[in-house]
Amino acid sequence: MKIKNKFWLFVAASLFVVVALSTVLAYLFWQSLTPTEKNFITLFNKENFIYVFAGGVLLLACIGFGIDGLFHTYIIPIIKLTEDVTLLNEVNPSHRIKLEGSKEINQLVSAINECADRLQASQINIQQKIQLAKAEAEEEKNILATFLEELPEGVVICNADGRLILCNQQAKRFLSRERQIPSDNSADAGQQVNHMERFVGLGRSIFSIIDEHLIVHALDEIASKIDRGEPNVASYFVFVCQDEKLLRVEAVPIFNQQRESTGFLLILKDITQQIEIDSHINYLLESLNRGIRSSLGSIRSTIEAIIDYPEMSLHQLGQFRSIIHQESQQLNDLLNRTMSDYAFHIHSQWPLVQMPVMDLVQFLKNKAEEKINVAIELERTNGICLIKADSYSLVMALTFVLKKVTEAVGCQTYNCRVEKTGNFVNIDLMWEGDALKIETLRKWDHMMIAFGKEGFPLTLKEVVGHHKGELWSYSSAAPDSQSYLRLFLPVIEKPETIPLRDMTILPEGRPEFYDFDLFNQPGQTPELDNQRLTDLTYTVFDTETTGLDPRGGDEIIAIGGIRLVNGRLLRAEQFSQLVDPERLIPAESMEIHGISQEMVKGQPTIKSVLPIFHEFTKDSILVAHNAAFDMRMLQVKEKSTGVRFINPVLDTLLISYVVHPAQDNHNLKAIAERLGINIYGRHTALGDAIATGEIFLRFIPLLAKKGIYTLKETRIACQKTFYARKKY
Amino acid sequence: MAHKILIVDDEPNIVVPLQFLMEQNGYAVMVAESGEEAIEAYLKFKPDLILLDIMLPGIDGFEVCQVIRLEPDWGKTRIIFLTAMGREVDIAKGMVLGADDYITKPFSNAEVVKKVKDLLDKT
Repeated sequence: MKIKNKFWLFVAASLFVVVALSTVLAYLFWQSLTPTEKNFITLFNKENFIYVFAGGVLLLACIGFGIDGLFHTYIIPIIKLTEDVTLLNEVNPSHRIKLEGSKEINQLVSAINECADRLQASQINIQQKIQLAKAEAEEEKNILATFLEELPEGVVICNADGRLILCNQQAKRFLSRERQIPSDNSADAGQQVNHMERFVGLGRSIFSIIDEHLIVHALDEIASKIDRGEPNVASYFVFVCQDEKLLRVEAVPIFNQQRESTGFLLILKDITQQIEIDSHINYLLESLNRGIRSSLGSIRSTIEAIIDYPEMSLHQLGQFRSIIHQESQQLNDLLNRTMSDYAFHIHSQWPLVQMPVMDLVQFLKNKAEEKINVAIELERTNGICLIKADSYSLVMALTFVLKKVTEAVGCQTYNCRVEKTGNFVNIDLMWEGDALKIETLRKWDHMMIAFGKEGFPLTLKEVVGHHKGELWSYSSAAPDSQSYLRLFLPVIEKPETIPLRDMTILPEGRPEFYDFDLFNQPGQTPELDNQRLTDLTYTVFDTETTGLDPRGGDEIIAIGGIRLVNGRLLRAEQFSQLVDPERLIPAESMEIHGISQEMVKGQPTIKSVLPIFHEFTKDSILVAHNAAFDMRMLQVKEKSTGVRFINPVLDTLLISYVVHPAQDNHNLKAIAERLGINIYGRHTALGDAIATGEIFLRFIPLLAKKGIYTLKETRIACQKTFYARKKY
Repeated sequence: MAHKILIVDDEPNIVVPLQFLMEQNGYAVMVAESGEEAIEAYLKFKPDLILLDIMLPGIDGFEVCQVIRLEPDWGKTRIIFLTAMGREVDIAKGMVLGADDYITKPFSNAEVVKKVKDLLDKT
């Protein structure tokens, strides 16, 4: 019951009691009087009615004011005090009570605040100790998590219901699907905006990501392997993901200590390139086999005929000789063609990376100093260009050559000149003295590159050849007679765009992409209602709109959402999209959210965005602040978009009213302040959604305090509140 | 009367010595360079034996074999497949389609002559 209602009930009851007691006393007094006395009083009252009546009213007013004072000074502060103390204990230890009541109440508040100070200080102390103790374990865990995250293979772990409880970046890249949304705006017709079509994240079902039949088949195979007692229980299948990439999936079961299946692990490997190379090499081999057999067949048959029939005509003999000649030439061509094609494919597995040529020279300078104690001076250069190189093997090869040159000519200092000529860049290593003989250089071609224990299992020729380069020895025509070795390397004219690989930074806190507690998550069950709030998956969202009247034509201009799984807001799983409302944004609404007409120009319309957001919210409970409004905004678009949100909905506004009925203000800002939450990006859809998520998380223990644990109990409690009756 | 042999191969350098060899052994030889030509020649020439290459432009050797085996009097014609693939699966496939024997390239002339002679002696 509301505080004011309680107050009036209390006043009415007090008045009733006072009036009843006064009436009884008056009656008893009247009965004890003699008739003369009664006549006297009646006469007295008649003559002085106005004074007696005024006195009575005054008395009642005094009683009323007294009760009101008592109520406001003692009763209301004590009720608020109870809420404040709960808030302080359960959610926000830094909350301090600001109450003005009677002297005694104020003393109590001061005492409680002092207790809170001490409690907070000791909590901070304990927290610091716990954090310190956790730090080491956390670091190791994070290294493991980061390692998983950076694996070239995609790794997905699902619980027994097929819900994701771990998913690394590579798996997300493999499995998520982007779709191009055409801009519906006529001014920007033709523009495309990339947007997620299939979301991959914690708590989502693997069956909506990979064909259910594939997974079920793999799990059946695993089960039968376990039954047969086979040592390898993994199951394998191939799956085509985005961009037609072929993934080889290895499914491995996960058991608990009781040998019960608790989930499964999927290891995803991109085999597209490997298959392409394999099939090409296979094709090369088959062509070679066919070509050799065919030519050999002709040669053998012809030679045998010449031997067996020595009396054949000259014309016939000439024809046969020509066949042998042609076929032997064809064999030669075939071998050359095959080997160069084969080498190209083999080299594609020894990748060359584009780099500035000067970086290579710098590496060479350092390596030569370190390995063979040879100094290289950079002379002059106009060779600012990119090359493709495996810098380690190339630098090792050049250092190896320098070592050999040093041994041959006895020079310890070299000048280096880098010049770009045409499609090549020349790296010249120059020295004073005799030139190196070409025969000597050619001898080194077939030597393995090695310095003591450090080496490379390839020859100089193989390394230089792999870089499509050429190494040659020259003697300068200039009078100072410098000799030099020149390495020609092809230049890249157009730099290739290579996929970025961000620097790996260990997260400070617990990484969000895994949570083993989810093993105990409920699956897709119709009994969602009876699940505990802490066990459910939520999408907390907010919309920004052109105004407050969905039925009167106001439109959504931004949607922000974030997933909340297993008591954690997953900041890696956000949805944030501006929407072209196809109408003007009123200046007064722009002042609130700061989204201008310019900003939504060219953005997709609600018809394109809503189906994607619907996919994002799949299998989750929707949470919003003042959800009735946001849900109405979505519902009015049902007909035009064909998207219907049937997810259960929770409203933090209503929950706030349930947990803090004595508080006057239940807007997002006030609640956040009360709970000690900072809102970053107030009035942006995503910023508000994140704040709502934080608030909801802190409400869960407060609801539990009131005996509200499940989704159904929460909904019933909300329905009982006043705000639930508010209609948009 | 001399036995008639049809050589089907698109490689003239294999056809020329084979034709010479067969003629030297007293057979009447006709040559086809594609599957279509082979079927046409079969219907016109009714050879006693066909030396049939598998890899042909257009209709391949397997299809030619299949078409010939659908003819009512196919039993009179022997078929030897010539294969440059050397794959067992090709050989198995050819035998199922009704080939009498196969020769893998490169072959010896004596082997070809023997296989041809043995098959023709059986008829």
